[in-house]
Amino acid sequence: MASAGYEALEGGNLKGGALISKEMRHGHGRTAHNMSSSSLRKKSDLTLVSKVPWGLLRSLLANLQEIFLGTKLFVLFPAVPLAVAAHYFHFGRAWVFALSLLGLTPLAERVSFLTEQIAYYTGPTVGGLLNATCGNATELIIAIFALFGGKIEVVKCSLVGSILSNLLLVLGSSLFCGGIANLRKEQLFDRKQADVNSGLLMLGALCHMLPLMFRYAVSSGEQTAATVSTLDLSRACSIVMLLAYIAYLFFQLKTHRQLFESQEQEDDDNDDVTSEDEAVIGLPSALAWLLGMTIVIAILSEYVVGTIEDASESWGISVSFISIILLPIVGNAAEHAGAIIFAFKNKLDITLGVSLGSATQVSMFVVPFSVIMAWIMGIQMDLDFKLLETVSLIIAILVTAFTLQDGTSHYLKGIVLLLCYIVIGACFFVLKTPPNQTNGINSGVLTTKSGVVVA
Amino acid sequence: MASAGYEALEGGNLKGGALISKEMRHGHGRTAHNMSSSSLRKKSDLTLVSKVPWGLLRSLLANLQEIFLGTKLFVLFPAVPLAVAAHYFHFGRAWVFALSLLGLTPLAERVSFLTEQIAYYTGPTVGGLLNATCGNATELIIAIFALFGGKIEVVKCSLVGSILSNLLLVLGSSLFCGGIANLRKEQLFDRKQADVNSGLLMLGALCHMLPLMFRYAVSSGEQTAATVSTLDLSRACSIVMLLAYIAYLFFQLKTHRQLFESQEEDDDNDDVTSEDEAVIGLPSALAWLLGMTIVIAILSEYVVGTIEDASESWGISVSFISIILLPIVGNAAEHAGAIIFAFKNKLDITLGVSLGSATQVSMFVVPFSVIMAWIMGIQMDLDFKLLETVSLIIAILVTAFTLQDGTSHYLKGIVLLLCYIVIGACFFVLKTPPNQTNGINSGVLTTKSGVVVA
Repeated sequence: MASAGYEALEGGNLKGGALISKEMRHGHGRTAHNMSSSSLRKKSDLTLVSKVPWGLLRSLLANLQEIFLGTKLFVLFPAVPLAVAAHYFHFGRAWVFALSLLGLTPLAERVSFLTEQIAYYTGPTVGGLLNATCGNATELIIAIFALFGGKIEVVKCSLVGSILSNLLLVLGSSLFCGGIANLRKEQLFDRKQADVNSGLLMLGALCHMLPLMFRYAVSSGEQTAATVSTLDLSRACSIVMLLAYIAYLFFQLKTHRQLFESQEQEDDDNDDVTSEDEAVIGLPSALAWLLGMTIVIAILSEYVVGTIEDASESWGISVSFISIILLPIVGNAAEHAGAIIFAFKNKLDITLGVSLGSATQVSMFVVPFSVIMAWIMGIQMDLDFKLLETVSLIIAILVTAFTLQDGTSHYLKGIVLLLCYIVIGACFFVLKTPPNQTNGINSGVLTTKSGVVVA
Repeated sequence: MASAGYEALEGGNLKGGALISKEMRHGHGRTAHNMSSSSLRKKSDLTLVSKVPWGLLRSLLANLQEIFLGTKLFVLFPAVPLAVAAHYFHFGRAWVFALSLLGLTPLAERVSFLTEQIAYYTGPTVGGLLNATCGNATELIIAIFALFGGKIEVVKCSLVGSILSNLLLVLGSSLFCGGIANLRKEQLFDRKQADVNSGLLMLGALCHMLPLMFRYAVSSGEQTAATVSTLDLSRACSIVMLLAYIAYLFFQLKTHRQLFESQEEDDDNDDVTSEDEAVIGLPSALAWLLGMTIVIAILSEYVVGTIEDASESWGISVSFISIILLPIVGNAAEHAGAIIFAFKNKLDITLGVSLGSATQVSMFVVPFSVIMAWIMGIQMDLDFKLLETVSLIIAILVTAFTLQDGTSHYLKGIVLLLCYIVIGACFFVLKTPPNQTNGINSGVLTTKSGVVVA
C-alpha cells in the first residue's frame, strides 16, 4: 500500500485517513470515468426471469437482461436494427446516418460496462489499463473506419471535436448544472488532478501547433523544408505523445493513484448509482458480448462514416460541423450524463475526472494511435489539423486550464465554457464546404499560393 | 530590514523567522543562480602547493589551482587549447566547432565563479547586479560575436534556444529527477518566485509576438505600414524590456529579496563548498575575468564562424544547432546544478536557476543584442520567425501552468521534457538549403510561387 503511505506523508490532504479502506474495498482499477457511466445504470429486476423453468435458459435470459436493460439508454437500442434495416432497404442515407448515430449512444455505454465487468476478473492494473484504453472505444473505432475509408478530415475533425466537447460542453454543462444546484454550497475540487490533465493537454496542443506552423512557415517562404517533413514531424510527435500517455498511465495507476481515486461518499446518496462491487456476468460471456458489441459498433461506424457526406448534403450542414459537433456529442453522451449527475451531487472530482480524463485520453492516445495506424496502413495522416480547429483547441485548453486554477467552481465558469463551445460551434456552422471538394487523402503535399512581395 | 518586515507581515510564509539571520550571514547578493553553479565546485586541495618555496610562486600556484581545478568540469579545459590548435592547423572546421563548444562549457562556469568572487569585494547590491548580469555571459558574448559576423539568424536562434532549454530541458529534467528521487516525499516550492518570472516571460513573449504579427498583418494586406516600422517597434519593445529588467532587478535585489533568497540548509552541504570568504584577491579575480572573457570571445568567434561548416558536414540544419546544441553547452553548468538541487528536494533553487536564467536571457540578453545591433547599424528586430515564436510562447505557457500549484511530481518533468523533444524534432526536420545565407533579415518577405496540389 505504497501510495497510501505517500498519502499519509503528504499530510495536507484531508481525506488521507479514509483512503486505505477505500483502496482495499475496490481495487479493480476503477477510475472516475467508469464511476460516471455507472450512474446511468439501473439494477435490473430479475424477478420475471427467475420464473422461467430450465436453468440454462434462465441464466441466458438473465444475461441478456443484464446486458440490454442494464442501462437507462436502452430505449435507444431499437435504433441499431433500424439503422441496419434502413441501410439494406435503401432508405434515405441521411436516415441511415441519424439512426446509426442514435444506435451508437447506448452501445458506447455498454462497452464501458463490459470493460468494467472484465476488469473485475483481471486485477487492478490490467483492469485500469483496460478501462483507460476502452473508455473512448467508440471514438477509436469511428476513427479507424474513417481512416480505412480514407476520410482523414473526418478523423481529424471528430477527434478535435471530441476533445472540445469534453473540455467545453461536458465540463461546462456539468459546472453550470452543479453551480445552479449547489448555489449556496461551496463547490471544491482537487486541482492536482486537473493540473496533470492540463499539462498533458498543453503538450498535445504543442504537437498540433508545430506541424501547422511548420506548414505556414514553409509556405510563406520563411523556412524551407521538404514537403514530407510535416509527416515525419507528426509521426515523431505521435510517438512522443504515446510515451507521454504511457507515463500518464503509470502515474495514474501506479505511483500517484490517490490523486485519481474517485472520492465516492460511502452510501448516503447512492440511490441512483448501483455500486456494483461484484461482477454480474461471467468472464467468457462478457468477452463474447464485448466482441459482439464491438462488431456492431464497427458496422454502425461504417454506416456513419459512409453516409456523412450525404447527411451533410441533405441537411445542408457542413461535414466539419457534423464531425466536430454532432459526432462527439453522440460518442460522449453517456459520460456527459454521468458528469452532470455527479456535478448535481457536488462531486466535482468525479466530473473533472470524466471530462478531463476523457479529453486527455483522446488527445494523448486516440489521436497519436490514429496517426500510427495510418502510418502502418500507408496513409499519410499528419497532426496538422487545420487553422480553425487548432486555434479552437488551444483556446479551449487555455480557457479550461484557467477555469480550473483555483480549485473552486460556480455556475458562471460553466456558462463561460458553454458559451465558448457555442461560439466554436457557430464558427464551424457558418463554414460551408463546397460540394466539389472531396475529403480525400491528404497526401501531405502543401497547397501553396503564389504570393507577391509586399515590401 | 524592510524586506524582513514585509515577510513578517505576509504571515503565510513558514520560513520568516530564520530569514533575518540568513540575510545577515551572507549579504553578497548571492542568487539561486550562483548557488547552483557552486554545486559543481570542489574545495581544491592546497597541500601540494603549500610545499613550494618562495611565497610569490606559491601564491601564484595556489591561485592557478583555484582557478583551473576548482570545478568538476576541469576535464574539459584541454578542449580550449585543442580548439585553438585545430583552428591554426586547419583541421576540419566541424572539429573546431565541436572543440570550441566543449571548451566553452567549463569557461562559462568559471566566469560565474569569478563574478561571485568579485561580488565579495563590492557589497550586496553591486554584487547582485554583477551576478545577475554575468550569469549568462557566455550567451551574451556569443550573441555579440554573431552580431559582428552579421549572422542575425544565429543570434536569434541561440537566444530562443537558450530560453527554451532553460524552461523545458533544465527545468524538465530537474523536476523529473527530483520527482523520481523524492517519490514518497512532498515536493514543494514557493510559487511567488515562479509567478514573477512567468509574468516577465509573458511580457517577453508579447514583445516577440507583436513584430511577427505586425509583419504577417502587413504582408497579408490587412494593415499598411512602412517596412521600417517593424524595426522601430522592435527597438521600442527592447527598451521596454530593459526597463522591465531594471524593475525586476530592483524588485529582486532591493524590495522583495526574501522571495529570491536561496533556502540553503547548512547541514547537508557535502558537495557544496559554501564559500563564505573570497578565495582569490580582487585584482587577480579581475585579471582572470578579463582573460577568461577574451578566451570565451575567441572560442565564440570560432563557434560562430564554423557553425555553417559544422551544419554541412554533420547534415544538421543551422537552426537545430543554434536552437538545441548551442544552449545545451551554454547552460551545462546551471543544468547540472539545477538537477543536483532537485535531487535534494530544494526546488526553490532549481526554479531560481532555470526560470531566472530564462528571464535574464529574455529580458536582458535579447533586448541588449537588439540595442547593440542598433548602435552597430545592423537591422536586427525582435521578429523571431513563426516556428520559434510559437514554440517559445507555448513553452512559456506550459511552464507557467506547470508551476501553478506550488508542488511538483515527476510527470510534470516528463511533460516539459517531451515538449522539448517535440520542439527539437520540429527543428531537426527543418533543413536549411545550403544556398540560403543567414544574412541580414531586412524585413522583406521572401515568397515563392507554388502549385496547387490537391
